[in-house]
Amino acid sequence: MRGRYPVLAGLILALTFTAAASEEIGVSVRDAWVRESPPGVAMMAGYMALRNDTSRSQVLVAARSSDFETVMIHRTIVKDGMARMEHASQIEITPDASLLFAPGGYHLMLLNPKRTLRAGDRVDVNLEFRGGLVLSVAFEVRK
Amino acid sequence: MTLFPDPKPLTAFALNDHENRVFDLAGLKGKWSFLFFGFTHCPDVCPTTLAILARARDNIAKSKVGAEDVQFVFISVDPNRDSAGKLGQYVAYFDTTFLGVTGSDAQIANLARQLGAPYQVALKPGMESYPVYHTTTVFLVDPRARYHAMFTPPLDAETISRRFKVLRELEGAKAT
Repeated sequence: MRGRYPVLAGLILALTFTAAASEEIGVSVRDAWVRESPPGVAMMAGYMALRNDTSRSQVLVAARSSDFETVMIHRTIVKDGMARMEHASQIEITPDASLLFAPGGYHLMLLNPKRTLRAGDRVDVNLEFRGGLVLSVAFEVRK
Repeated sequence: MTLFPDPKPLTAFALNDHENRVFDLAGLKGKWSFLFFGFTHCPDVCPTTLAILARARDNIAKSKVGAEDVQFVFISVDPNRDSAGKLGQYVAYFDTTFLGVTGSDAQIANLARQLGAPYQVALKPGMESYPVYHTTTVFLVDPRARYHAMFTPPLDAETISRRFKVLRELEGAKAT
């Protein structure tokens, strides 16, 4: 067992590095952006279009970023006429399907930025999928 | 946009704006008012809506009639965290003409009830972070302080400004 871990770690690393040109992985992200936060607000929302071109379901289980203290996968839902946020512990993207993270729906909840982020800045977020795939995605801060 | 054929006159209420001035029924008279309920610790719905309203205001300001007779009011349902200073900073980020108002829970509930705007602050003692639920509807009150129309998501700046301009023209023609 012990011998397998370095291989696995190496594989994850390799996948991370090739994620930008993720053709061979089959999971890709387009139009990734984070809304610039108003002054005094320590939370931001990240949006993107996730695409699964593989023949298997892919399950997003976590997101991390060194630019934020905490990153959570959230979904805005409307219940009893009121919007509320629901924590999504995992999200499945079926084969040949896309999943949109968009205002009023799924979003990455980015808490307590470690530096001041302004429109035009870049934020790197690692999207972690079940099975070990890690996709490193550059999000653009937009106003 | 949902238009009410028989707009409902609002009755007395009292809140405070981000410069600690009273914002009451008189503050709605003589202007068209777009009202939106939310809170500043809201990462998705509130900034999205306020950015759309800022664009809608730009469009209205560029029209022939302009935006002199229009105001945009963000009503915080979370007065515990949203002080006047914080609200002022927050709304000005989206548009320097926006007003931020809030009040006690009873004061907020009074106006919210009149507009049918549900909200709930799940405040627990000692909790620094707590969820706040609120409607995503944008309410339009006419210059006679009557609840005249509402916009529900998906909101779009162009649609809001275009429909508002038509409504304002129609109502202006009626008044003369």
